[in-house]
Amino acid sequence: MKSIKNILMLTVMLVSFTSSYAQIKNASTQEVKIYGNCGMCEKTIEKSGNLKNISSVDWDKETKMATITFDKKATNKDDILKRIALSGYDSDFFLAPDAAYNKLPGCCQYEREAKTPVKKQMKANMEEKMKANHDEMKSTETQNISQLETIYENYFAVKDALVETDGKEASAKAKELLTLLDVVKMGDLEMDVHMVWMKVMKDLKEDATKISQSNDIKKQRDAFDTLSENIYKLIKVSKAETTVYFQHCPMANDGKGANWLSKENEVKNPYYGSKMLSCGKVVETIK
Amino acid sequence: MNKIYYLLVTLLISTTIFSQNVVRYDLHVRDSIVNFSGKEKRAIAVNGQIPMPTLTFTEGDIAEIHVYNHLDEGTSLHWHGLYLPNKEDGVPYLTQMPIEPGTEHVYRFPIIQSGTHWYHSHSGLQEQIGMYGSLILKKKVVDPAFRKGIDDVPQVPIILSEWTDYKPENVHRMLHNASDWFAIKKGTTQSYAEALKAGHFKTKLTNEWKRMLAMDVSDVYYDKFLINGQNESQLSQFKAGDKVRLRISNGGASSYFWLKYAGGKMTVVANDGNDVEPVEVDRLIIGVSETYDVIVTIPAENTSYEFLATPEDRTKSTSIYIGEGIKQLTTPMPKLKYFEGMKMMNNMMNMDGTMDDMGMDMSLQKIDMNTVMYPEISGSAMKMDEDKDMDHSKHSMSSTKSDIVTLNYSMLKSPTKTTLPKDAPVRELRFELTGNMNRYVWSMDNVVLSETDKILIKKGENVRITLYNNSMMRHPMHLHGHDFRVLNGQGEFAPLKNVLDIMPMEMDVIEFEANADGDWFFHCHILYHMMAGMNRVFSYEDSKPNPYLPNKAEAYKKLQAESNQFHLMAENDFATNGNDGKAMLQNTRWSFGTEWRLGYHDDHGYESETHIGRYIGRNQWFMPFIGFDARYRKLDHGEIEENLFGQKSTKDKRIQASLGFAYTLPMLVIFQAEAYHDGNVRLQLMREDIPLSKRLRMAFMVNTDKEYMVGLKYIIGKNMGITTHYDSDMGLGFGINVNY
Repeated sequence: MKSIKNILMLTVMLVSFTSSYAQIKNASTQEVKIYGNCGMCEKTIEKSGNLKNISSVDWDKETKMATITFDKKATNKDDILKRIALSGYDSDFFLAPDAAYNKLPGCCQYEREAKTPVKKQMKANMEEKMKANHDEMKSTETQNISQLETIYENYFAVKDALVETDGKEASAKAKELLTLLDVVKMGDLEMDVHMVWMKVMKDLKEDATKISQSNDIKKQRDAFDTLSENIYKLIKVSKAETTVYFQHCPMANDGKGANWLSKENEVKNPYYGSKMLSCGKVVETIK
Repeated sequence: MNKIYYLLVTLLISTTIFSQNVVRYDLHVRDSIVNFSGKEKRAIAVNGQIPMPTLTFTEGDIAEIHVYNHLDEGTSLHWHGLYLPNKEDGVPYLTQMPIEPGTEHVYRFPIIQSGTHWYHSHSGLQEQIGMYGSLILKKKVVDPAFRKGIDDVPQVPIILSEWTDYKPENVHRMLHNASDWFAIKKGTTQSYAEALKAGHFKTKLTNEWKRMLAMDVSDVYYDKFLINGQNESQLSQFKAGDKVRLRISNGGASSYFWLKYAGGKMTVVANDGNDVEPVEVDRLIIGVSETYDVIVTIPAENTSYEFLATPEDRTKSTSIYIGEGIKQLTTPMPKLKYFEGMKMMNNMMNMDGTMDDMGMDMSLQKIDMNTVMYPEISGSAMKMDEDKDMDHSKHSMSSTKSDIVTLNYSMLKSPTKTTLPKDAPVRELRFELTGNMNRYVWSMDNVVLSETDKILIKKGENVRITLYNNSMMRHPMHLHGHDFRVLNGQGEFAPLKNVLDIMPMEMDVIEFEANADGDWFFHCHILYHMMAGMNRVFSYEDSKPNPYLPNKAEAYKKLQAESNQFHLMAENDFATNGNDGKAMLQNTRWSFGTEWRLGYHDDHGYESETHIGRYIGRNQWFMPFIGFDARYRKLDHGEIEENLFGQKSTKDKRIQASLGFAYTLPMLVIFQAEAYHDGNVRLQLMREDIPLSKRLRMAFMVNTDKEYMVGLKYIIGKNMGITTHYDSDMGLGFGINVNY
């Protein structure tokens, strides 16, 4: 009988212990405003604010007010609001990074009342700068004269798409390249260029077709390897309008290495894209 | 009347003599208790503060710094990046004797340069526990190098650091013992289970085949990271439109930091205290002990913008908010993809432990091989096919990814010519940075400081150093007392630095004019690498005697000994079937180790094996040793054991001497061959600490005495684990493993 009593007591103690354990100790409760829209916001806000046994957040989508309860020995209000801001939601203490806000689903992209817009004058300055950059880019883009030059330009467009790991764009650009390849007037080419053209033309078309017909970045990159080799042969004799850099990445193509051409000295690797963007080096400068 | 006249004359004379402004600081070094992490721990504070007070001088001043040592141990202060007389450089046993407890020492030197520098203790591991501070040298306003819009912008010293609750001596010891407790704390064990889950089982296998332990970008687990001694702080004195120049020093003992700013791009205007042409970047990495000056702008009103410093391992971070009002956060650095890094490392590592750069000629931080681990650049940890469905969102993000401008050394350009004297003789030196992660040995040309003499150079020559990093970690190499040119393709405008971060497989060339006198330290500034011996000393021929160092030769021996200390490691398994344990005392090359197996009954036996060995070669895979074995065991019925070779041994009482060697095989299995003085031979294969999961380790042993053992250990704490093992002598056992 006594033992039963003991067991009972132990159980009661255990139960009360676990239940008290699940609560937040040294609790402090505060009300704060957190900007947001909908039920989905509520989920994200509460999930990012909650920490087991340390903090809990209850947000009301009507009033935009959150009740936050936390163990004041283990954390503080700022920590919780910072976590919530990093998930995309502004409060009167922290503003979410723009990237986090932009990642929120459309319905959750609330109006950012707490955020002060960038001063007008500064914005103008920045825009001016951007515009200047843009103009510069445009002016380089419009420099295409000879018929091979348009092909090179298009090759670079394919390359840039691969740098961005954008299979769709690469395919579209390769399609354009293909049409350009078809309309080249061989007779207008100089003698030595003509000779090379005859050699590489078939392969160029084949690789361009491969890239255009697929959205699979891996297949596109395989074809791009040989495409680059052939364009290189061509550009060696014909010379491009601007300086072109022949670049090499020893890691591409499963460690066998692969080459490509670029208009910039700086390495932007089309075989890895952002994964290994700067891998590679310039092996030849063609002027 | 006469008196007054005299007074006036003396005053006049003294002012003309002291026309240079003497700026005096008094620094009291004291033991203190701090609480950075929620626990009270020992630290060292100067004038009651951590970091040490910011010291400010103007070019042309004379610095006079009085140091009062109230500690129970010696100390010193090194003025990082300053040109000064050798005896003021603050390296104990090299340029002075340690400042003894209870004494005062005065550093006095003219300030002949400007820029952002810092100062720290050069004694033992004191830098880790608080002895670092900013040292700001201002330009004179009349200086022709004074740059409007840069040098007249309001400035704030920023010193980055890290805090660990463990004693730094213990951290150092644990690193040498290849403890993976830090990896467990960081969640970077990279065990087989984790590899399997991430689809990288083969990667892990290859990695161990090549005898590598789990790789990480940094070695130590830290509890907190700090900017000016605080994890988070705010500079609310600045308003919208303000420009602020941050004078940033990395006073961390072993952490590189990524720097980002929530209010847009940062303009880098100086590096290691030397001006550079302004360059705009999105982020930069600051190596241990480097300094960078960046200018940031506050874009909007009532907003303070986060300046975020994230250690390279990205476990935690520290922020300072610039401006008043609501805090605009920047995107945190996402977690590293370790298995991608491991895969890349596998490709780069030769079977013989050297690195292969695959002909990439890497230099100047231009190719960061770790990029494969950065989700913000190479995409999230998800498989590529998974994000195909999200084509749409990917597109909008992709353009930003490859547009992130990260600073590298080739972008640094001095505003003035930095060429060295043309007709000076050139002295060419070449160092290969070498290391052994498994035993935490760091060296140059596979030689640590205690194994080499000073390198003699002559005043008036140009010293050109080629550095090649053939180790798996990056190293911030620091030269005392000189700035060197980094040959980075900027020609005559090559930037001047005093710390060069060199990544694995990189080759860089630096050069400097030998224009000083005395002994100057050249070392890796990762504190634990320096203490492991990755140091050299450049010594000017025919230097003047140093008044602070009466016995130079003796002192140099002390310096050498400091970075080749013995480290103790011990463990014992208290199991139901007996005690299993070992203790080891090791330094760079030598190992004194003893293992024991103590049963609870005579028939289980008691035995111990002691080995004294020396690690040979760069990778230290080979260790010949001499051994002593002692055993006592009572076998029933006078049973005689026979080994695989038919050699017999009576195990009851045995005292043996032996010769043998241990060799680390692929998969990190240790092969041991041992011949005893009675002619018996024993061959053994053993592997401990196979990481099955985050905290579960497996071990096995098998030998030609027909003994074998398999065991499992679950690590529950830094010094404790739960074990089970089956031993051919003692049978099945469960126990608790206690280690030190």
